[in-house]
Amino acid sequence: MSRNYEAVYIFDAGLEDAAITDRLSRHHGLLGSTQDIKLNHWGRRQLAYKIGRHETGYYTIAQFNADPKTLPEFERALKLDEGVIRYLISLNEHELGAQPMTEEQLAARRARDEDDDEDEE
Amino acid sequence: MRRQKKVCPITEAGIRYVDYKDERFLARFITDNGKILPSRLSGVDARHQRQLASAIKKARYLALLPYDRGHQPQ
Repeated sequence: MSRNYEAVYIFDAGLEDAAITDRLSRHHGLLGSTQDIKLNHWGRRQLAYKIGRHETGYYTIAQFNADPKTLPEFERALKLDEGVIRYLISLNEHELGAQPMTEEQLAARRARDEDDDEDEE
Repeated sequence: MRRQKKVCPITEAGIRYVDYKDERFLARFITDNGKILPSRLSGVDARHQRQLASAIKKARYLALLPYDRGHQPQ
């Protein structure tokens, strides 16, 4: 089973852009079938606080589908990579939440809320 | 005297999911020192406050927001 993930990487801002794309493709190669990884490069920006000796970082956001079994290997590679200051992998499935309420449910809800208001007074 | 009911600013903005990458938005819900603003001051409803808290904590880890702005190094 594959799940949808979102990863944020903070690279050493001293790295060349080519080196960063190279590292990205190498790490993403560990995820098995690398079908359409959506990349969003934020580029270099100031960190809100110093991390070690770093004051700036190169931010990249990736969204991908991967089998959870491939993740430990992938994380290990990121952890060992000196060029990655920090990374965060999180599930990107918040669209799977409850369905939006229908109009009738909303109306019922509103009627109930108004009742509650009267009780408060 | 009756207090006016606050409207949740996040619901009002039509936001369903609070994104940890949007640090401009999250910055509205932290104090000058970098603490998470209590919902009793911001009026955020409970569901969004929970989302907000974890979003702010993720943003802090990613150095998008400060953990503490209390004592700036000179």
